[in-house]
Amino acid sequence: MGVCQFFLRGYCRFGERCWNEHPRGAGRPGGPAPPSQVTSGRGGGWGSSNQRYSSVIQPSTFKSDTWGGSRDHGRGFFGSSDFGSSGGGSRNADFSQNRFSALANSQSVADGSKDEEERLLECVVKDMEIWESSGQWIFSSYSPMKEKLNVSGFSDVSPEELRLEYYDSRAKNMIGNYIDAVQQLAAQWKNRLLQLKALNSSTKAALLSAFKNTGTQPSPAFGLGGQQTSSFGLSSFPVNSSSTSASSFSFKASSSLINSSSSGTSPAAGVSSSAGSAPAFGATSSPSAPQPAGFGSPAAPSAASFSFKTAATAGGFGTSGFSGFGSAAAVNSSSTTTPLPAFGAFNAATATSASPSSGALFGQTASASGHHVTSASAAVTNTTASEKLFTPKSELSAEEWQQFEAKEFTIGKIPLKPPPLELLNAYDLLSLFRNNMF
Amino acid sequence: MSLFGSTSGFGTGGTSMFGSTTADNHNPMKDIEVTSPPDDSISCLAFSPHTLPGNFLIAGSWANDVRCWEVQDNGQTIPKAQQMHTGPVLDACWSDDGSKVFTASCDKTAKMWDLNSNQAIQIAQHDAPVKTIHWIKAPNYSCVMTGSWDKTLKFWDTRSPTPMMTLQLPERCYCADVVHPMAAVATAERGLIVYQLENQPSEFRRIDSPLKHQHRCVAIFKDKVNKPTGFALGSIEGRVAIHYINPPNPAKDNFTFKCHRSNGTNTSAPQDIYAVNGIAFHPVHGTLATVGSDGRFSFWDKDARTKLKTSEQLDQPISACCFNHNGNIFAYASSYDWSKGHEFYNPQKKNYIFLRNAAEELKPRNKK
Repeated sequence: MGVCQFFLRGYCRFGERCWNEHPRGAGRPGGPAPPSQVTSGRGGGWGSSNQRYSSVIQPSTFKSDTWGGSRDHGRGFFGSSDFGSSGGGSRNADFSQNRFSALANSQSVADGSKDEEERLLECVVKDMEIWESSGQWIFSSYSPMKEKLNVSGFSDVSPEELRLEYYDSRAKNMIGNYIDAVQQLAAQWKNRLLQLKALNSSTKAALLSAFKNTGTQPSPAFGLGGQQTSSFGLSSFPVNSSSTSASSFSFKASSSLINSSSSGTSPAAGVSSSAGSAPAFGATSSPSAPQPAGFGSPAAPSAASFSFKTAATAGGFGTSGFSGFGSAAAVNSSSTTTPLPAFGAFNAATATSASPSSGALFGQTASASGHHVTSASAAVTNTTASEKLFTPKSELSAEEWQQFEAKEFTIGKIPLKPPPLELLNAYDLLSLFRNNMF
Repeated sequence: MSLFGSTSGFGTGGTSMFGSTTADNHNPMKDIEVTSPPDDSISCLAFSPHTLPGNFLIAGSWANDVRCWEVQDNGQTIPKAQQMHTGPVLDACWSDDGSKVFTASCDKTAKMWDLNSNQAIQIAQHDAPVKTIHWIKAPNYSCVMTGSWDKTLKFWDTRSPTPMMTLQLPERCYCADVVHPMAAVATAERGLIVYQLENQPSEFRRIDSPLKHQHRCVAIFKDKVNKPTGFALGSIEGRVAIHYINPPNPAKDNFTFKCHRSNGTNTSAPQDIYAVNGIAFHPVHGTLATVGSDGRFSFWDKDARTKLKTSEQLDQPISACCFNHNGNIFAYASSYDWSKGHEFYNPQKKNYIFLRNAAEELKPRNKK
């Protein structure tokens, strides 16, 4: 019984049923294909899966019957139709074409989690490389694996949301604003992507701690208790590292916030996004939480530029700013739709507003993902953080100040402390943009 | 050439490949063009249900309008009526009896358009653009479900200005599909929730997204006894996940496949990856169609896990698609979907809606 050449290359069609030997030590090139069901040479074979998107597109074993006039370029007909199963159970040892089976390593039982971490990181790096070169939509969230939370620094903006922003800008003759905002967002995406590609030790540490913390239902569920802290950990990259960040946004800072923000800015607000108003960009979403940090600038928490905040739409004061803020706490701004007068009121407001809006069914609190968590409880969890929201200028070192002043952060030099109040309006592009739009 | 019930279509299309090369590639598949298409990108397409004799197509567009055409058996399309919103229309659907059309718009409202009287009234209000709208017909109730970027899912009795029910979503609603008694909603930040609609809508399960990137479109499929059993989810990253709600063996039954990518002949060169803009299941065969930003559409058989066909590349992305009630017609819209940002937006470029005979090409592969 010889060694199976296909397995060594990563695409054996027969998997466990193969008559040739599949040596385990062969670097696990990739889950071999499951036994093929396609008997006749019918189109659309199973190209064996390659869950790591490696550059090899497995040629299909069966030639397709090319349809009359349609012809993809070259072998694209099948190359692009590779099927891989994304089994829920990433840990199963059988060679189902589990997209994530890179992480299910039957032989790594001994290595345990360490190996899985390595693979996760490799996966992240690979995905970043592909993302960079593929021309796909860049304003998208990302996660290397099903159960893992979204990696911070990437948040969803759909093409429709962006297009609507453009149309609105055009109507107000402010296309320049739109263009700038988009460029800024793109630059931030690029920064984050490069950072993840390079994966220096601090990024690695932050990522791994974030991954470890995923418990159960990640995605929508974000926002509560334990999960919350973990997701916050996510946000910072080198910046605020862990819990501090988001949680600090939410409640701790509240008092200072209120005092300083009488003009209507909401520093942290920038962060989580945006409140109800519109699609907003990046900053919005974030059940993955600390998106703000996501933007490469710890400053993100920074407030919106004061001038624009006041122009905030719906409900003015409360909306983007505060609700965003509060939502950081709740992580999930379900309540953001309601304009919130002042932070102090937020707690109460959300608590109450939450219920009516959801109306019957779902019992807000009961809702599994709990993002509705009444802000009160969220507050409690958040107060664990001890960091302030802003660092007074006196506490910043010269280099940190320089970083904050600079147009962009230099990777590796991103300050760990939150930005000083004085510089806040420089950074909140999103709120800036958003407030212009709505 | 008859559009329905005959297998014309393709054969005639094929020959032209070798002969003339039309410089203009707006209709490489030689499909039927719908007359008077909208002036801006088409965001959604929907065919009338079987309760209405004949075929009527509605399309919502970024020009703030919803248009309705009658599609005749010989392929001729006759513009019938049009309604306006004050913002771009993002989604549209028919009521089960075919008398009303519901439209959702960026102006944060949804309207009900009575086709007989050609009147439209507002039936829903959100705090942010309404992205999805579906008609729910349950044995004991009927309502309109709207999903919005304000992170709520609301259910409306069209006679009342306040919603019958509001459900919170974890994030902005990006796409949804309803096949009674199941509804699937995909949100921003890779959120995915399934609802059950019997008695009254309630959340059934939150699902870990099988995809790594932003969700873009979702479509529910049914099993052999016509019960909804799972859904197909498309992302911006040229990938579709087939997910069963209660499969016997999740690891084996659920899977993802890549699509709408530039070919990989040269394995060392990076692929171009395009977003999947729409997924539609053939009502009879159960096979599915996907349309992408690359300007192609593909037909797939998810049970045999094979690709049935991929089209030629159009010169614009394909932004929406749908099948008519009996699966004879496949409609797809060729218009810019903003996948490359504002620089590639040309307001002068014409938008098209094409109709294709889908009776033959979507027959499933026989598994041996």
